[in-house]
Amino acid sequence: MRLSYQKRITLTAIIMTVALILVMAALWMPHIKRDVKIMDALFVIDITDSMNVEDATLNGDKVSRLTWAKEFTRRAFLDMPCGAHAGLAIFSEARSLILMNPVEVCASYHDLTQMLNKFDPHMAWARSSEVSKAVYTAIRQAKEIEPEPTIVFVTDGHESPPINESLFPRFDGKPGEIHGVIVGVGGEDLLPIPKTNEEGEIEGFWDVNDVMHQDVYASLRADTNMNVPQARTEHLSSQKKSHLRTLADRVGFEFVSSPTKPGKLVDVISKVSETRPQTIDYDLYAWFAGIALALILLVYLPYGWFIRTDD
Amino acid sequence: MLSWELPILLWLLPLALLPWFSHNTEKTVAWQAMLPHDRLSQFLTLLLKSLSSLAIAALLLALAGPFIPERLVERSRQGAEFVIALDRSRSMDDIFARPPRNTLPIEAFSTRSKRTVSGDYLLEFVKRRPDDRFGYILFSTRATEILPLSYNRDAILATIAAGGLGKGLSKTDIFQALSKAASLFEGEPYRGSRNILLISDGGEILDADEKTQLQRRLADMRINLYWIYLRTVRGMTLDEQEDDNLLWLDMPERKLHTFFKSLNTPYQAFEAGSLKEFAAAIDEIHRQQYQPLIVEERLPKQSRVNLFLYLALLCCAVLVMARLYTGWGVYRAYRQ
Repeated sequence: MRLSYQKRITLTAIIMTVALILVMAALWMPHIKRDVKIMDALFVIDITDSMNVEDATLNGDKVSRLTWAKEFTRRAFLDMPCGAHAGLAIFSEARSLILMNPVEVCASYHDLTQMLNKFDPHMAWARSSEVSKAVYTAIRQAKEIEPEPTIVFVTDGHESPPINESLFPRFDGKPGEIHGVIVGVGGEDLLPIPKTNEEGEIEGFWDVNDVMHQDVYASLRADTNMNVPQARTEHLSSQKKSHLRTLADRVGFEFVSSPTKPGKLVDVISKVSETRPQTIDYDLYAWFAGIALALILLVYLPYGWFIRTDD
Repeated sequence: MLSWELPILLWLLPLALLPWFSHNTEKTVAWQAMLPHDRLSQFLTLLLKSLSSLAIAALLLALAGPFIPERLVERSRQGAEFVIALDRSRSMDDIFARPPRNTLPIEAFSTRSKRTVSGDYLLEFVKRRPDDRFGYILFSTRATEILPLSYNRDAILATIAAGGLGKGLSKTDIFQALSKAASLFEGEPYRGSRNILLISDGGEILDADEKTQLQRRLADMRINLYWIYLRTVRGMTLDEQEDDNLLWLDMPERKLHTFFKSLNTPYQAFEAGSLKEFAAAIDEIHRQQYQPLIVEERLPKQSRVNLFLYLALLCCAVLVMARLYTGWGVYRAYRQ
């Protein structure tokens, strides 16, 4: 396409004027209001012994499940939209202990990560790991928080002492009353569990005779089909996916096994949560400035290198 | 100093040189010698090309999202630094200021636990002190610093609020709690009054080693200690009385109080047996702790986009004028 000299001059003048108007718009156009969906989430991190097993993958390295849980939670904070709230809790023994109620995730990011960094096995107040009961207590306590947060329960699902599927701890609440996601962490293979002492320091591994291998109540019954002899593997741990799925179904949670992208998890949280809209100011400057730039570049592109423009 | 939201866009900066290679709006003249040479024109050509370059560069820089990151500035204010150590033991789940069971309840008493009551007053206390820095220790048999000293009000308020939820853990270890609380000040420059606010309902007998350790740490770090003691046994005071019950003489609370009094650092105990006393204790601490304090204020991230947009605007305005003038001239020239 060839344009006459006069047309080129006129076109340039028009384009430059439009660009000028766009720059003005970028500067003075009032911000528009936009609604984003925000949620309140309560991250419960399992800090029991089985979380010290190093079979989670983070950036290609094998790290302990706890390290993975902490890092993944931190990244999830980053992926949550500003205005969303996040709280923190730990799980040990048979209960979840809420340490920080949900706070705005952008303004308090520093404090949230500071607290998250403190999570380690020495905070555990007892050496058992009753996942299902901990989920129930988290639900009970979430009801006391206003607005009710979505629970994000990060665990490997290792129950110690073990429970028999037919003697599942009773859930008193209504399934789905509190929304939540169970995030499974850990690998497929059964691995020895590092053992922590009273001070929370790791001292060797749990031995086959250190732990119970059968549900306490089941073992007391004379019922033979409940007491089928099983392999004694409760001193080893892997991600108990089927157990976590059963648990999630019981309380009406979603179950996500070893997610790889924090953004995906945030999407799941957002999907299950009762999100509330929050209006934010959205500045369109980037669009205006971008188009203005494109127009100006259009004027100066060296067309002469490709086509003959002279006349 | 200046940071960028999208630093990758800075790689496009060479595009600003385009005006120097482009001849889109130049007229090819058959014979160069026919062109008049005047210095003003040459200057204008240079100027317009520079302005075009500048406009492109300014827009690119604006798009890259320049901002000055969040900064901390030190200001002098009135206030203090507090580490809150709130007992998370089982006994704190008991009803606060409950009359003994063997007396007729004359007045109605609240049925809230010691922990919720303490939490509520702490929330009130923190809200009233805008410039203070707070840290939080969770302690029971073991102490963990869950919130290092922070100016973030939301975080500390949320942490205190969370302390009121659920049931207590196991027992109390005050020595652990105090050493942990003191360790929060470790490595921090001295900014002003440092305080540990210990809220518990029980005492503990410390051994000689623990005593000297605590004494030294508190003195080294110049920490004041406040103890809000939530009375468990009605009528018992921390200080010995004339008409003391013989059973109270060896109470761990009293032993602990005696030790605290022997500290070389300021110490004050408040015995809260009722909501009123608790409120008075909190008020008294609030009143005492107004000393010059160096606080760090967080200046939020500031965008510098407009600076570059104005620059682009200025360049574009001149360019547009030049273009319109040229356009008008060419239009007239062709019409003739």
